[in-house]
Parts: sequence; C-alpha cells; structure tokens
Amino acid sequence: MTSSPNNLVIEARGVQKWYPNGYHALRGVDLSVHRGEVVVVMGPSGSGKSTFIRTFNALEGSIRIDDISLGNDLRQIDAIRREVGMVFQQFNLFPHLTVLDNLVLAPTLVRGRSRTEVQAQALSLLDRVGIKEQAQKFPGQLSGGQQQRVAIARALCMEPRILLFDEPTSSLDPEMVREVLDVMRQLAQEDITMVVVTHEVKFAEQVAHRVVLMAEGNVVEEAPPAQFFKNPKHERTRRFLDQIL
Amino acid sequence: MNPLLRRLRADLFATPADGALSLGLIALITAAAVGLVQWATQRAQWAVIQANSTLFAVGRYPADQQWRLWLLTALLTAATGVTWGLLRCHPRADRDGTLWPRNDLVVLALLAAVAFWLPWVLQLTPALQSRWWLLAALLAATRWLAGRFGSQLSRPVLRLFPLVWPLIYLTGMVLISGGLGLMPVSPSQWGGLLLTLLTSSFAILLCFPLGVLLALGRRSDLPLLRWISVIYIEFIRGAPLITLLFLGQNILGFLLPGGLAPDRIWRAAWVLTFFAAAYLAEAVRSGLASVPNGQIEAARSLGLSYPQTLVRVVLPQALRVALPAMVGQFISLLQDTTLLSLIGLLELLGVARTVMANPAFLGHSAEVYLTLALVFWSCCAALGLGSRALEKRLDPQTLSRSSSQP
Repeated sequence: MTSSPNNLVIEARGVQKWYPNGYHALRGVDLSVHRGEVVVVMGPSGSGKSTFIRTFNALEGSIRIDDISLGNDLRQIDAIRREVGMVFQQFNLFPHLTVLDNLVLAPTLVRGRSRTEVQAQALSLLDRVGIKEQAQKFPGQLSGGQQQRVAIARALCMEPRILLFDEPTSSLDPEMVREVLDVMRQLAQEDITMVVVTHEVKFAEQVAHRVVLMAEGNVVEEAPPAQFFKNPKHERTRRFLDQIL
Repeated sequence: MNPLLRRLRADLFATPADGALSLGLIALITAAAVGLVQWATQRAQWAVIQANSTLFAVGRYPADQQWRLWLLTALLTAATGVTWGLLRCHPRADRDGTLWPRNDLVVLALLAAVAFWLPWVLQLTPALQSRWWLLAALLAATRWLAGRFGSQLSRPVLRLFPLVWPLIYLTGMVLISGGLGLMPVSPSQWGGLLLTLLTSSFAILLCFPLGVLLALGRRSDLPLLRWISVIYIEFIRGAPLITLLFLGQNILGFLLPGGLAPDRIWRAAWVLTFFAAAYLAEAVRSGLASVPNGQIEAARSLGLSYPQTLVRVVLPQALRVALPAMVGQFISLLQDTTLLSLIGLLELLGVARTVMANPAFLGHSAEVYLTLALVFWSCCAALGLGSRALEKRLDPQTLSRSSSQP
C-alpha cells in the first residue's frame, strides 16, 4: 500500500461531531483509506463508528473524498455523495420500486445515463450478487439477505469510488449473514475500496487490510488484522476483544 | 343440512341470545324497508322530481345551449370507457389480465339498467330518453373497443393517454361557460348537479397540489415557510367553512389578483379549495411521517438531490399511505358544497330549496331530500370505490402477491 496522495481515497483529519442535543459523538477522529483497501471499523456500541462513516458521505459532519474536499462548503455534498456508496443496516431499499428500478433510479436521475444502458449494467450487477432472477420482484418479496445484496448492487450501480457498509449483517437472520459476507469478500477481491463497520471478526481477519477500533468518539487502535486480534497494543482493544471473542 | 342454512345458523343463531338479537334486528329492518317501499310507491308524489329534473340537473342553463352539456357528458363517457378498457387489457399488478372480470360485467349491467330505468321514471321526453340510452351504449362500446384493441397501441400513445382527462376538463370549462365562438353562459345560470360537480371537482383538483405543498412547508427546515404553513393550516382548520364562505364573498375579491375571482361562484370555489387544502395538508403530513428516515438517507446517499428524493422516493410512499384520508377529505368536500346554497348559490340543495318553495309542490320535501341523498350517495360511493381500487393497485403487498405468480 503506497501512500502517494492520488492513491488516497479518504482523508479524515480531526473530525468532530456534536449532535444537536450537545452529545460529543466524534472527538477529533483521523483516518486515511487508500484505493483498493478494505478497512474494518469495530468498537462497542455508542463509540461513534456509525456516525464516523456517515461523515464520509456527509450524512453527518465533514470530510475529504478523493479530489473533492468537503469543508464547511455544503455545496460539495451532492458531488461527494455521488462518489460514495452506502449500504445500511436496515437495507433501506425503496419498497415502491422493483428490484431493477431500485438500481436504475439513481444512475439515470443523477448521472443522466440512458435507461437501457443502466438496465444492462444493473442486470449484470444483480447477476454478480446472485439474484438476477429476482429483478422484477419488489423488495418486500425478498429475504433479508437477498435485500441486502440488492442494496449492495444498488450502491455499486452508481460506480462509487468507495463503498461504506454500516453494520450490513446486524439485522439479518444468522443463516443469511454468510451470503452477504460472501458478496463483500468477492468485492474485496475485485479491489473495491471499502470501509466496513461490523462485528464479524472472521470477516475482518480474512478480508481487511486494516482494522480500526473506535471507543468514546476516538480511534484507539489501528492495525493489520493479524496484529489487531492476536497482539493488540492498547488495553482498551484487549478489553473489547475479550468481550466479543 | 343445507350449507347455506348451516352458515346462517352459525352466523345468526349460534346462541339463544344471538338468535333473539338477530330476530329483533331482522324484524326492525323489515318493518323499515316495508314502510319505505310503501311510502315510495303509494304515498309519495314523485311529480316534484319529474317536473323539475332538468332544473336539478343543470339549474337555469339556457335550454338552447344544453347540447353543450350533452356533448361534454358524451366526451366524459367515452373517456371513461376507453380508460376502463385500457386498464383491463394491460394486465398489471392487481389484475390477472382477464378482459371482462365479473365485477366489470356487473357494473356495466348496473349502469345500463340505470340508463334505462332513470329516464323512464323521470318521464323524460323520448328524445332525451334515447340520449341516455346512447350514452350507455357509448360507454359499453368504448369499453369494448379499448379492451379489444388497446394492447395494439404503442407505448408513447399509452403514456400520453392520461392527458386526455385534463384536456376534457379544459374543454368542459369552455363548453360550460362559452367563449371561443360559443355563446357565453354566465355562471349565474349554472346550477343543480352541474354546479355541484363543477365546484367540487375544481376544488378537489386544486386543493391536492396546494395541500401537498402546505404539508411539505410544515415539515420544512426554513422557519418562515414552516410558520406560514402552520398558521395557515391552523387558522383554516379553526374556522367553520360557512364563515369562510361568507368571508370569501366579501374579501376574496381584494386578495386575489383581478379577474381570478370575478364571480360569486368562483369565489366560493376558491374558498372551498383553500379550506380543503388545509385538511388535506394534515392527511399528507401523516403520510410523510410514515416514510422512514432511512429512505431519505438511502436516496441522498445515492446522490439524489432533495427535490428528486421528494418526488421519486418520499411522495410516492407518503401519498399512498395518505390516500384513504385524502379521499375521505374529497368526499366531505363534495358534501360541503351544499353549504353554497346558504350563500345563495343554486347548487343541488339550492335548487331543491327553490323547488320546495314553489306552492305547486308544497309538502313534498321528503321526496326531494330522499332524491338528493341518493344523488350525493352515488357520487360519494363512486369516489370511494375508485379510491379503494387505486389503493389496492398501489399496495406493495398486492404488487408482490400478483407478480410472484409465475
């Protein structure tokens, strides 16, 4: 992993976030993500990890993505959001649209691409995540795992420079977790840049280039998975791993 | 035992108490029905309706210009038939693709029966009777033609077809009021069912966008917009319609730019619109509240702008949820038009009051009110049926059920 500036996809420096109720959720978080890298963010609930990755597409706070920097200039938000794909814990598929239309909506509307062209791309993406035959169904007819795979395909259809996952398997039935993780593994092998908030230790060990531990609104530890899980430097990380392993 | 008898027994006479209650209710309903039929067939004098049927339908619309209203009715009938047929021949989520489902046959038979029976009991002249028959035939024919050949129409034609409805509405306005070479008929000559339907359809069409905008304004981040919407909604909802109608007759002329509110009828129609919009806004607001925040986040994270999110993601879901409440609003709006009679406009109730004031028909108000109730009931029932069909069609559950069939 080289650190030349044009390889840097995300550069977050000293990100602060206060919620309107005065809660200080992020207290100066730093993180850099390089092209093709997979970063897993772990941490106890309330540590600010979801809040942090939401700053990447300006659903909360501020950040710099690739060549677009987002300071206090809110006009850059839409430009950033086009380049950042997001997969949510609750899938958030559009229930009134078919699976195919869920994928086609944003590229045609936001990028102004032709419908036939996007449809072909969407079908091949659905094929990649293994649910091409469900294209004409509505989200409500699919299982949770299938819905989450559609959500991943929907994010990919915008051809984002980075893909964010906000606890993508946390609201799935146990037997559906694997099909979603398999898709994510496959994406990692295709060198798609990903930041994943998750509690799936095995996934982090096998796929991540780096694992980050957040606690109380700070990055506590940042290390390759082997070191993170076997030989963490910080007491806080050890305590966290004791609780989840 | 016969299954029907068994079911009756289970439903009505399961226990002695049930049985007693059922018997009592049956006796009560039978007595009321027998009484009504006896009154309607023996004591009631329907001459009051027969002699004034034209007045009830169109008020004092000049007789030599009434062909324009017939033309409009024919246009509406044809458009209804074609739309109906097209809906059936293009199978969608809630339909299995049968061209003539049983319900359609029942509805058509019912309409045909009414078209034959009504002119006969009203003792219309043979010329007018035949017009009603022709209208019924037109409906059946357009329905059949559109169902038979609709599938051969190209996609662009089908997409543009709904535009026929606003076009007919505008044409109807011209036909009713005159202009463009037609003899002008002043609004003071419109009346009866014509005026009722005109004011209510005008108010329904305009209060819908206004209500949606107000609901959005109420949820807006801009304090000024929010406060204006809240004050407007709360003010209108806090005032009785009748006071607003009287107020409108006096001050609307100053509020609206010149020419927009030239006539008493249009002033009343605008007041109805503004009134209904406030209530509609609350219905839409409840719909907006039902859309989870995650939907907005998902749309925004895909790069959709706020207006795009609103139009493509939030409103389709919110309006479906708000649909039953909105149609309820439209139905009460239709009934609220009767208040126009209190400000001296001759809509259905206004015409009824002038008819009952005629010494020739003294003492026959029961017949008149019963007829009025039936007319209003059929209009509201039509609205309710339409809304239920639309609701079913937009329901994701229905969508999923039918499209999961192989």
